[in-house]
Amino acid sequence: MKKNLKIKICGLRRVEDIEIVNKYKPDYVGFVFAESKRQINFKQAKILRNKLDKDILAVGVFVDSNIEDIASLIEDNVIDIVQLHGDEDEDFISELKKVSDDIKIIKAIEIKNNEINQDTNVNEINVKKWENSSADYLLLDNGKGTGETFNWKLIGKIKKPFFLAGGINSENIEEAYKFKPFAVDLSSSIEENGFKSSKKIAEIMKNLNEIKTKNAVNMNRGEDKSMNNGRYGIYGGQYIPEILMNELLKLENQYNFYKNDPKFKKELQTLLNKYAGRPSLLYFAENMTKDLKGAKIYLKREDLNHTGSHKINNVLGQVLLAKKMGKTRVIAETGAGQHGVATATAATFLNMECEIFMGEEDIKRQALNVYRMELLKAKVNPVNSGTKTLKDAVNETMREWSKRVHDTHYVLGSVMGPHPFPMIVRDFQSVISQEIKEQLFKLESKLPSAVVACVGGGSNAIGSFYHFINEKEVELIGCEAGGVGVDSKYHAASITKGEVGIFHGMKSYFCQGNYGQIAPVYSISAGLDYPGIGPEHAHLNDTKRAEYVPITDDEAVYAFEYLAKQEGIICAIESAHAIAHTIKMAEKMKKNDIIVVCLSGRGDKDVESIKNYKIAKNSYNN
Amino acid sequence: MSEITKVFRNEKVFIGFLTAGDPSKEKTVEYILAMEKAGADIIEIGIPFSDPIAEGSVIQDANTRALSNGVNTDEIFDLVKELRKESKIPLSFLTYLNPVFFYGYEKFFKRCYEVGINGIIIPDLPYEEKGEISDFAKRYDVDMISLIAPTSKERIKMIARDATGFIYLVSSMGVTGVRSQIKTDLKEIINEIKKVTDIPVAVGFGINTPEQSKEIAKIADGVIVGSAIVKIIEKHGYNSKKYIEEYVREMKNAIKI
Repeated sequence: MKKNLKIKICGLRRVEDIEIVNKYKPDYVGFVFAESKRQINFKQAKILRNKLDKDILAVGVFVDSNIEDIASLIEDNVIDIVQLHGDEDEDFISELKKVSDDIKIIKAIEIKNNEINQDTNVNEINVKKWENSSADYLLLDNGKGTGETFNWKLIGKIKKPFFLAGGINSENIEEAYKFKPFAVDLSSSIEENGFKSSKKIAEIMKNLNEIKTKNAVNMNRGEDKSMNNGRYGIYGGQYIPEILMNELLKLENQYNFYKNDPKFKKELQTLLNKYAGRPSLLYFAENMTKDLKGAKIYLKREDLNHTGSHKINNVLGQVLLAKKMGKTRVIAETGAGQHGVATATAATFLNMECEIFMGEEDIKRQALNVYRMELLKAKVNPVNSGTKTLKDAVNETMREWSKRVHDTHYVLGSVMGPHPFPMIVRDFQSVISQEIKEQLFKLESKLPSAVVACVGGGSNAIGSFYHFINEKEVELIGCEAGGVGVDSKYHAASITKGEVGIFHGMKSYFCQGNYGQIAPVYSISAGLDYPGIGPEHAHLNDTKRAEYVPITDDEAVYAFEYLAKQEGIICAIESAHAIAHTIKMAEKMKKNDIIVVCLSGRGDKDVESIKNYKIAKNSYNN
Repeated sequence: MSEITKVFRNEKVFIGFLTAGDPSKEKTVEYILAMEKAGADIIEIGIPFSDPIAEGSVIQDANTRALSNGVNTDEIFDLVKELRKESKIPLSFLTYLNPVFFYGYEKFFKRCYEVGINGIIIPDLPYEEKGEISDFAKRYDVDMISLIAPTSKERIKMIARDATGFIYLVSSMGVTGVRSQIKTDLKEIINEIKKVTDIPVAVGFGINTPEQSKEIAKIADGVIVGSAIVKIIEKHGYNSKKYIEEYVREMKNAIKI
C-alpha cells in the first residue's frame, strides 16, 4: 500500500514565506545553507524556525559543509532533517548520525538525462550505491536545484523512499505522482518574482489533494474486489447518499493504510492497554457453573473496561483514526448511552470536539448517561423524529454528517451502516475474541464449546465471534432482543422475525412493516432497541455458522438478577440477554464443555429502570 | 431521447415536488394538476418512507403525515393512474431503496410503466449500487435520475457519463430544506458535467425564492423545488391549491428567459 505523498517546500528565506507555509502545512520545508540565491545564514534560519508551525519539519540543505556546523543546527533545533547535496560519503553520513538519534538524512543524487542510452546506466549505479547507505531517504534531482526536470522514466524501482525534485509544478505533478515518490520537492515553480507565492502554493496543494483523492478512489476500487465490494455474501454494501460517498471511500482508504501502520497500531495498543484497561479479564464463573451443573462458564469482562463496556475498543480506534485523517470533530449516535459515553470519553481525551445524537425516549430512559456525556464535554442533541430511539439517532447523525464531512468523522457505534463501517468496527472489536482465545488457552488449553453474546447491531458479538469463525467446532450464538415476545409487535429480533431489506447504508435483516417501512421496535434494553443487524451477522446466519436466538425482557431481567446474586456482578441489561441464554444451554451441556459469555457492559445504568420494570410487573400481576 | 430529457429542449425547467398522501391522496392529485397548470414541467412524487435520511425536517414531517394517513405504494400507483387521465407532463418518483426492494424491483418498475411514471430518484442508491435496479428501470423505460453533490469531485464525470433523464445537482451540503443562500460553485460542477454529457442538469436542495431560481437558471437547465412547496401544504393543508399554484407560477416566471 502506498503511503500518502508528502510535500517539501524548499528555499524559504523570508518571514512571509513561513507565514505562507504555516497556512498550507506541507510536511517539510527546506532551508538552504549552501551557496545559492536562496541561501540563508544560521541566524536567519533560527528566526524562521521559531516562527514555523510545529507540525512542519525543517530540512537543512548542505553542499559539502563541515559536520560541526550541521551538528550545531541540529542541537539548536533549527533543523530536523539534513539534506546532503555534495560529495558527502557514507562515513560522513555515519558520523552525522552520531550527533542525534532522531536525525534523518536525505542524500541527493543527480540524475542525468543523457545517460539513458548507455549500456551502463550511471544513474542506476548511483542509485544502487546509495540505496544501501545509512541515509534515510534519497532525493532525485537533475542537478543542484536547477529547477529543471529530468526524465522520470529513469527512476525505475528504488528500495529507499525518495524525494522527487526539479521542476515539479501544478501541471506535471500528477505525472510525478505516478512514479511513487515518498515526497515531492517544490521550489522554483511556486515562486513569483523570485519569491514564494501564496497563490501558486495554494494552487499546487489543491491539485495535489485532488490527485490524492482520485488515486485513493482508484486504489479503493481495486481493494474492494479482494474483499468482495464490502459485502458479506449478499449483505452489506454502500447504500448511502452521493454526498457521503467520497468520504466513505476516503475513510476506507485511510483505514486500510493506518491499520498496517506500525505507529498507528502502537498508539492504539497503548491506548487500549494504558487507558482502557485491556486485556479485560476472562473470569471463571464458578458459582454459576456449580449452580447450573453443566458446562463450565467463563465471562469475558468487557464491563470492566474504562467507560464500562466494549464500546471503548471501537471508539478509541475510530477517534484516533479520525485524528490522523485531520478531522477535528466527531459525532455519534447512541441508544443506551454507552457508545455516546465512550465516544465523548475518547474525544475529550484526544482533544476533539464531540456531539452525540440520542433519541428523546432513550434520553428519558438513560438520564444518567446523558449527564456523563455532558460531563465529558460532549453536546447531546435530542432526536425527536420517528420513534425517538436508536434508529432515529442514526438517521440524524447521518444527516449531520452530510452537512459537515470536511472536519467531522462519524464514529458509528456498531458493525452496521455502509461499508467500510461494519469492517472497521469489527476489526477494532475483534480484540475481544483474540484475547478470549489466548486467555482460555492458558487456562484450559482448548477452545470453548460455545461463545455467547447479545446482538443489537452486533458489535460485541462479532468481536467475540471473529477469531472463532474459522474454528468450526466452536458454536457461535447471538442473543437478540425478544422484548415482550417475538409473536407480539414488541421486540427487536431482526433475524428471528425480520426480513431482508436495505437501510442505513446496508443490505441486511430488518424488522419492517408492509411496503418496506421500517418497523418501530421495542426492547427493555435501549442498546438492543434497533430494527436491524450488522451485515456480517446476516451472512453468518444464512450460512448457519452462527445461530441467533431471541431472549425476552423477562428472561433478561431474571438473568440480570441471577448474575448479581450468583457472582456479585451487576451486568448491563443488554449483556443479561446473553446470560439468559447461557443459563438455558449450560444445563444441557457436559461438564467438560466451556461456554464463554461476553459480558459486554456493566449495569449501573440499568438498575433504576429494572427496579421500575419490576414494580410495574408486580402491580400488574397483583 | 426520453420524455424527461425532451422537456429541457426549449426552455428552463421547473421541477416541483410533493409527498404523496400529504394531506391526502385526492389532494395530491389536485395539487400536482395545479402545479402543472401553473407551469411546472416535471413533478417529483415522493413515496413516503419511515426514515428519509437525506431529508430535512420539512419533508421528514410530510413523510410522517403521509404514513400516518395510511398511504402505501399500491395506492400511490393508483393515484398516478388517476392523475394520468389529465396530466401530460413527465412524472418521477422520489423514494428510498427499501420500499422499492420490498415491493419487488420487477413488479415496481412494471407498475411504473403501466401507470406512466417516467423517472425515479433514489437518494440512498449511489452510483456503485445502481446495479440493484438498472436492468428493471431500463426494461420498463424509467429514467434513473442520478445525483451529483458538492463533494462528488472526481466522481462527477463517472456519474454524468451514465446519467439518464436529467442530473440532479445537489446545491449544498446537508439535507433538503429551504436555505437563504447557496455557496457551492455550481458553475464549475456544471462545466465538468457538460464536458462528458448532453443530459440536462437541474439544481435542487434549498431553492425557494424566485430570485434564487433566476440565478440558478442562468447556469443550470432547471430548478427543483421541494421543501418550499411542502411547507405550503404543511401550512394550508387541504386548502393549499391556490397557494401552490401562485407559488409555482411565480417561480416558473422567474426562470423564463
